[in-house]
Amino acid sequence: MKHLNAILLATLVVLMFSASCKKDEPDDPIIPHEEEVITTLRYSLIHDTVGIPVVLSFQDLDGDGGNPPVVTADTLRAHTTYSGSLTLLNELETPAENITEEIEEEASDHQFFFQSTLSNLIVEYDDADEDGYPVGLSTTLTTGSPGSGTITIILRHEPEKDAAGVASGDIANAGGETDIEVTFNVDVK
Amino acid sequence: MLNNKTLLFFAFFFLPAIAFSQNCNVNVSGYIWDASTGEPISDAHIYLKEARKGAVSDSAGFFRLSSVCPRNYHLSVSHIGCKTRELYMTMEADTTLHIVLDHDSRLLDQVTFISPGGKTTTAEKQSLNEKNIAENANENLANMLSSISGVRVIRNGNNISTPVVHGLYGNRLTILNNGVTQSGQQWGTDHSPEIDPWAASRITVIKGVGALEYQGNSLGSIILVEPRKIEKEPHMHGKGSYFFETNGNGHGLNGQLQQHYEKPALGWRAVGTLKKSGDNETPDYYLRNTGREEANIAVQLEKAFSERWTTDLYFSSYNTNIGVLRGSHIGNLTDLEEALTREVPFFTEEDFSYNIEAPYQKVNHHLIKFHSNYFITDNLWFDLTYSGQLNYRKEFDVRRSGRTEDPSLSLRQFSHFAEGRINRQFSKGWKVKSGFQFNRVDNINLPETGVLPLIPDYISYESGIFVLASKTKEKALFEFGGRYDYEDRRIAAISSSVPREIIRYDNSFHNLGAAGGFNYELIKSLSIAYNLGYASRNPEVNELYSNGLHQGVSGIEEGDPLLKQEQSIKNTFSLKGNIKNKLFFESMVYLQQINDYIFLNPTNEVRLTIRGAFPVFEYEQTDARLFGVDAAATYKILDHFNTVIKYSFIRGQDISNNLPLIYMPSNTIYAELNYQLPKIGKFENLELQVNNRYVFEQTYLLPNQDFTAPPPGYNLAGLKASAEKQSAKMRHNFFIKMDNLFNVAYRDYLNRQRYFADDLGFNLIIGVSSSF
Repeated sequence: MKHLNAILLATLVVLMFSASCKKDEPDDPIIPHEEEVITTLRYSLIHDTVGIPVVLSFQDLDGDGGNPPVVTADTLRAHTTYSGSLTLLNELETPAENITEEIEEEASDHQFFFQSTLSNLIVEYDDADEDGYPVGLSTTLTTGSPGSGTITIILRHEPEKDAAGVASGDIANAGGETDIEVTFNVDVK
Repeated sequence: MLNNKTLLFFAFFFLPAIAFSQNCNVNVSGYIWDASTGEPISDAHIYLKEARKGAVSDSAGFFRLSSVCPRNYHLSVSHIGCKTRELYMTMEADTTLHIVLDHDSRLLDQVTFISPGGKTTTAEKQSLNEKNIAENANENLANMLSSISGVRVIRNGNNISTPVVHGLYGNRLTILNNGVTQSGQQWGTDHSPEIDPWAASRITVIKGVGALEYQGNSLGSIILVEPRKIEKEPHMHGKGSYFFETNGNGHGLNGQLQQHYEKPALGWRAVGTLKKSGDNETPDYYLRNTGREEANIAVQLEKAFSERWTTDLYFSSYNTNIGVLRGSHIGNLTDLEEALTREVPFFTEEDFSYNIEAPYQKVNHHLIKFHSNYFITDNLWFDLTYSGQLNYRKEFDVRRSGRTEDPSLSLRQFSHFAEGRINRQFSKGWKVKSGFQFNRVDNINLPETGVLPLIPDYISYESGIFVLASKTKEKALFEFGGRYDYEDRRIAAISSSVPREIIRYDNSFHNLGAAGGFNYELIKSLSIAYNLGYASRNPEVNELYSNGLHQGVSGIEEGDPLLKQEQSIKNTFSLKGNIKNKLFFESMVYLQQINDYIFLNPTNEVRLTIRGAFPVFEYEQTDARLFGVDAAATYKILDHFNTVIKYSFIRGQDISNNLPLIYMPSNTIYAELNYQLPKIGKFENLELQVNNRYVFEQTYLLPNQDFTAPPPGYNLAGLKASAEKQSAKMRHNFFIKMDNLFNVAYRDYLNRQRYFADDLGFNLIIGVSSSF
């Protein structure tokens, strides 16, 4: 029994020692360069006769989570053809990183898809990757009769561009992963 | 084959000469006994290697080898359903041996029925032995364990799986690798235990809260993975094993060597494993990017400094790359909905491939353990243990602009563990164990990802103390004990708001555990056991501070820094016995209440991000109740012909909200028919098995609790055959098995890959191992 008491005492001493000794704090974590994040999408629509472009813009300056994104959309004119160009930015980095260039470099791994609930609104591809499949950074957008609805822009990473319908803008068989999916409420007048 | 006359001729001419020169007239005889029933074992094969002589035991368990030269011999004793025993002994004069074989595997498929050393705990225990491990070597640890009733696996495909015991998994389940709590990044369901089962000789599941002597969040059960002790044998012995499986074209290779020196008293063993497999296949298509590579090594040293003082050193390194089904990598909710409706997942290819590309996991785990044991008297001894573990986990996703080469999750965990124990045996059957444990864990995110980490960096200090006492009195065993742990955790997180800032948290928790139970042998063939345990568990770092997108489930997961500890009470009651040594049965009922049970709850919120809308999951607490039944029975139809049936039932309930608990295993029923033959030609101990597993549909779940309804129930049939062969110096084991015999297309509720693809189709596995 003597042994046992001595051992229990020793155990307690060790425990108290280990519980009371100075604790290391973790070092400051290194804040990563979040180069891959896309915070901003801008779809600029230019019309030959109207000088000022119409802009559909989605901006989430703190990335996923945090504050909600700011979504703004101008009014489009009915029965009008616009030439559209997409700009993608990562504004978490200073200066802001231009993601559009990254997409251009990897054009064959990316494709934008345009979907709309507005009747007769048509978006056609104006660009192509090295295999001749569309990318969607440059487009032609034609509006139909006036109304209200949505335009959804989806960027797919590693889509199967040769699958049925994909080259003409049908996302159903595209596969891959969604890097961007934003929806704008748009009025056509 | 020599005929009798020739034999006589030889005997006439040579035997006297040999006898004269070497005096080879020693007679070795003996009896083979069954460890569990005490009955003699017939048809056991006894082989004296150096003499190249063999015998078979008769119905009284008796065998005889005559005219053996006096010298040291390696003796091997094998029998159907038993682990082959290798003995090394001196035969100088006529010798009678009494050899006991551990024969329980024939009774209840590895259930430690009445273990030879007597019961050591009142908690329910079931194990896999070396033979089970060898014949399932194509599986990882968790999949292997699923043959034990009450154990299931949550999987992310076939290669990433985590065990679930009585509905609890992850950090509620403690895994002990050679006596040390496995310290890994296994808090998620997509994390496999980083252990090579091939390096183990026994894997035991203790169901109950009774294992208070181990540190860890033992709210659930305990899994012990143990290597064999090095046998005190002066010659080098070894074993080489190989398997091939058709599904995934998998190959596995394992080599083991061991030796024990008498002077200095030192033993060593080295074990190495290599495994490689490629894309698995369902009955209809390949699962692209589901390959696996693994390379492991373990070294064990044992040294006795004196009769009273022994030490051992264990080192293991586990290294693996595991592919994740390419078609399960999902961008957002729209993609998920699309993937769910597809018959064949995206990215499926026509051809087989060994390639492992993103998404994949790369995991390295290194363990070093030093243990020393000192006997003050025969009834009082100390154990001291130190162990260090280093764990790296990198997860690679498909990323833009060459960033696929960079992991999107990269964690390093370094832990130090120290333990002191004292064991004392008193008269009148009392045994007392007590000790303390100290564990320091340093977990950091390596800054190579370019992604905001999902889990923050932290350092934790955990100190614990326990006392356990047990008493055996005639047919009863009583056990009770308690433990206390204090954890102090320092956390450094990065804010999710901009500008990014470092936020520090300090946590401290007091945890208490207590358990008691008894085991009572009502009559020789019937015993009951009851075990009651209380334990509390800290909220883990991921539960408190997770913040971000979990790609695999397409959801945003948010921790809650205000979570409280979980508190659990578990009751287990078991009944086991046999009727006329023909029908062996074992059943267990358990009821566990967990107050403040932490779980990931889908909220009604859908959060808009630039990547689309994601559902938000929050860690929340509720009161939960788990109830289940495990039952198993073996019936000996004839001496060499038996059937085994196992059934498990479990129901999980969120009692605060009166809802089913999500991710609870569905019920299963399993049956096998075994036929055993002592000998055919040169093959011994033949075993043939037909088995069938039916997994019920998980009907206890509301439609809005998951992305899709649970898949229907399924039925899988299998075949297995094994045999042994003794050559002059080597003993060979062969097995062949067929899983999913009818190539059934099915999906399992606990497999997260089920959202996207079917489970594995037919698989043929052949294996051979040779030991010397």
